[in-house]
Amino acid sequence: MNASQPPRWADRLLEWFCAPHLLEEVQGDLHERFTRELHVMGTRRANHNYWVNVLRFVRPFALKRQPERYPSVSLFSPAMFQNYLKIALRNLARNKAYSAINIIGLSIGLSAAMLIMLYTKDEVSYDRFHANNPSIYRITSKSLTPAGIVEQLQPYTGVFPGPKFHEGVPEITAFVRYRENHRDMKEGNDIKSQSVHYADTNFFSIFTFPLLSGNPKTALQNPQSVVISEDVAEKNFGTTNALGKTLFFRRDERFEPYTVTGVAKKSPQNSSIKFDVLMPLVIEADEMANNENWFSVFMNTFVLVSPGANLKAVEAKMNRVYVADARESIKIVAKKYGITGRTVYTLQPFTDMHLSKELPASNGLVDESNPTFSYILSGIALFILLIACINFVNLTVARSLKRAKEIGVRKVVGGARTQLIIQFLGESFLLCLVAFLLAIGLIELALPTFNQLANKALALSYLFDVKLVAGYIILFMVTSLLSGFYPALILSGYNPVQTLYSRFNLSGKNYLQKSLVVLQFTLASFLIIASLTIYSQFNFLTSKELGYDDKNLVIIDKSNLARNEANLLKEELEKNGNIIGIAPKNGGRWGTVAKINGETQVNFAYETVNESYLPLFKIPILTGRNFSPAYPSDSSHSVLVNETFVKEAGWKNPIGQVVDFWFRNEKYTVVGVVKDHHYESLSEKIKPQLFTMKASNPYGVVYIKIKPNTETASLRHIEKVFKKLFPLNPYSYQFLDQENLKRYESEAKWKQMMLFGAILTIFISCIGLFGLATLSAERRTKEIGIRKVLGASVGSVVQLLSTDFLKLVSLSFIFAFPAAWYAMNEWLSNYPYRISIGVWMFLATAFIAITIAFFTVGWQSVRAATINPVKSLKAE
Amino acid sequence: MKRTYLGEFEEIVLLTVAVLEGQAYGVALTHEIIEQTGRSVRLNQIHAALQRLEDKGMVKSEMGEPTAERGGRRKRLFTVTAYGRRTLQEIQEVRVSLWSRLVNPFKPVTSL
Repeated sequence: MNASQPPRWADRLLEWFCAPHLLEEVQGDLHERFTRELHVMGTRRANHNYWVNVLRFVRPFALKRQPERYPSVSLFSPAMFQNYLKIALRNLARNKAYSAINIIGLSIGLSAAMLIMLYTKDEVSYDRFHANNPSIYRITSKSLTPAGIVEQLQPYTGVFPGPKFHEGVPEITAFVRYRENHRDMKEGNDIKSQSVHYADTNFFSIFTFPLLSGNPKTALQNPQSVVISEDVAEKNFGTTNALGKTLFFRRDERFEPYTVTGVAKKSPQNSSIKFDVLMPLVIEADEMANNENWFSVFMNTFVLVSPGANLKAVEAKMNRVYVADARESIKIVAKKYGITGRTVYTLQPFTDMHLSKELPASNGLVDESNPTFSYILSGIALFILLIACINFVNLTVARSLKRAKEIGVRKVVGGARTQLIIQFLGESFLLCLVAFLLAIGLIELALPTFNQLANKALALSYLFDVKLVAGYIILFMVTSLLSGFYPALILSGYNPVQTLYSRFNLSGKNYLQKSLVVLQFTLASFLIIASLTIYSQFNFLTSKELGYDDKNLVIIDKSNLARNEANLLKEELEKNGNIIGIAPKNGGRWGTVAKINGETQVNFAYETVNESYLPLFKIPILTGRNFSPAYPSDSSHSVLVNETFVKEAGWKNPIGQVVDFWFRNEKYTVVGVVKDHHYESLSEKIKPQLFTMKASNPYGVVYIKIKPNTETASLRHIEKVFKKLFPLNPYSYQFLDQENLKRYESEAKWKQMMLFGAILTIFISCIGLFGLATLSAERRTKEIGIRKVLGASVGSVVQLLSTDFLKLVSLSFIFAFPAAWYAMNEWLSNYPYRISIGVWMFLATAFIAITIAFFTVGWQSVRAATINPVKSLKAE
Repeated sequence: MKRTYLGEFEEIVLLTVAVLEGQAYGVALTHEIIEQTGRSVRLNQIHAALQRLEDKGMVKSEMGEPTAERGGRRKRLFTVTAYGRRTLQEIQEVRVSLWSRLVNPFKPVTSL
């Protein structure tokens, strides 16, 4: 057949140039001629002649258009629009369930996507509000092995890099060092431990933090001056007009007055630098004189680099300055600690800091963020939106059977396909618009929960931002097109003859609809498995035996607690019968290095305790003995180590082995081995641990064991004793078991997030399935009626209607299970102590998904099955 | 007497339309003219001429039945209008009167 057709492109050309009113006869004549020539001359000649003949028609008479006899209606005529709108609204109103499913699903999907956009925008907007923005950098460094391999990235610096690089590199036009400390502050009659930030005097000329009052240039010039936030001013003075007032901070044993020289506006939400109390950074002269301080690293240093400077060149100059200035101390330190590598200074753009994993914003900077969190959140949001769009596509296509007549009539009275596409796309836009408005309402409701999950302080007012609004409009457009395009294309393609004769059958194979349902349930089951896994891992982390007893343990902070003070505290506290025991320990996490077996170096956690620590925590000693007052030399000669230490050292007989702190010239003998216990979070492996009683190490915290259920009385007693003994120290307490739980806050967040995600996806998938089941039941009303007349039971009809859908849901497991298994294994591999993924999780997921799907579909099926067949058969 | 003048080719097309009696459309006309006059005629010329004749009001047209060889397209069938017939007659009359006034009519060539 194809061989006898004239050249297609010639036809196309003719159709394009020939005036429409002549086209039919001209083309007809040409075709007739062609058919004849085909018989006489063969295909080649006929084709050739056809081309020639077509080209001959490029003549004025054939090109000239005749005015159309009927006015052509523009695709966008207002009358048609009115009609579309009216039909759309009538349709929405008539199919309430369908409209509700679509609108609710889409609005949940849209609000999830919008929230994530809000979140992402906030994340990337961090630290961009400074007037000096692109020129601010943080000095960072990396340690390289002799072979040039990066060993460690160091985001912090000491006192030197700032001033020295500023002096030696002309492109670095200013520097500011910034650190955080805690100072005891008088607040009325109370003493409070207050977080205080220190910065160089030009802090306000580099960073943009507007002052409500005070001169930003001179505010930090006097060492006894302090800049406070409006909150602190309000709290201490009852007014933000606090300029010239005095705050008292403790130095050694006295409280010194500091004059308020500025009141700053609350630091913006999207700032890594947030301060309440800011003081000038004072570096003593002898610290600047000690060249070894190049290796003491404890704060952040920011610099201004002149715009347009070549960063690589600036970094090279910085390192030349460093090597020249620190030459001597590099040698000394290398000798002292056996360091073989070298340090290279680098610059990190200030705006990269917030989302950096390697060089995070910490140590006085706040809100360091893990970009994976954003990725996961975005992933879930996209899942939800996708599922909602799938619902829309599926329901619209499935329901189109009902509208097939309308489409047929429209086509018969001259509706062009483009018009139909516009109509259906328009309907999808209308639905999306309603969903969009609803979504904004949903966001308002969900923001508090979301803020808590995402650790943010976002507000709806953040939405009013040009870029974000543009983003939302694009999101809206994309969603409308995504969900409306396919149905519009399908519906507009119906053949009017078939639809109007009612011989139209849409129930066919419908692979698209089926695969979309499978996709939905794949995503939903994936999230169910993910939340089950995270849930079990979280349970495992929070309920695993830690190897010590953390119940009824109160933690009290007391910096620089001397030995005699500790004894006094013990004596005083134990006067109350509710106090079972107390044990002091060093504050924070200490770690150090020592030599064993002669020359082998080993890194370990370094714990300064006394003899009461291990018994108080009920940590068993496996071999040897605990520290004991019976051996007065314990504090200077004996240490305890844990099992991991022994394993790492390779000791067969640990007792009596020597640990050599060679850089201090101290040697200790191991007198006992402590059973391994999880002294850190369970997301870290147990590392070698060493216990000492060395007298010169200060204690920082005190653990107090109290009798169960005596919290109120015990705490009152503890507070009284503490305030009596240490009136100048701030008092605060924590419970160890609660602190241990806090370590898993991020896991708790993941758990909640996944749970939310899973619930939303399964919910949206199910309402979609519900819609499909309803339509399918409606379509098969007659069939069901006949089956019932012929004796089918309700059960068999329900089975008939549900099996198809349940099959699809089961099919989705084939895709979801391997993917989820892989993803969850990856996630779990982050944890040294973890659960193994059990078969039960998959079984439970299958059970949950199938049950929910069955109830969704089954409800419709039962309804359809219990209708009196007389009704369904009588209705025509 | 005023009348629209016809070109020679137009006259032949118009005459052929008359001859074909309601079955005149592009392809048929082309074939007929080729057969009768022996000159090479192209489809586009016929279409152009028919267009001009219709503009002048000498022919009228209507759409006929579709045929398979035309790919389901309809023919446009032309018939001569009264005005067309009169024009043809007038041309004929002018020719006849001119011939009749010929004193020494050409002898038809009967032999080589």
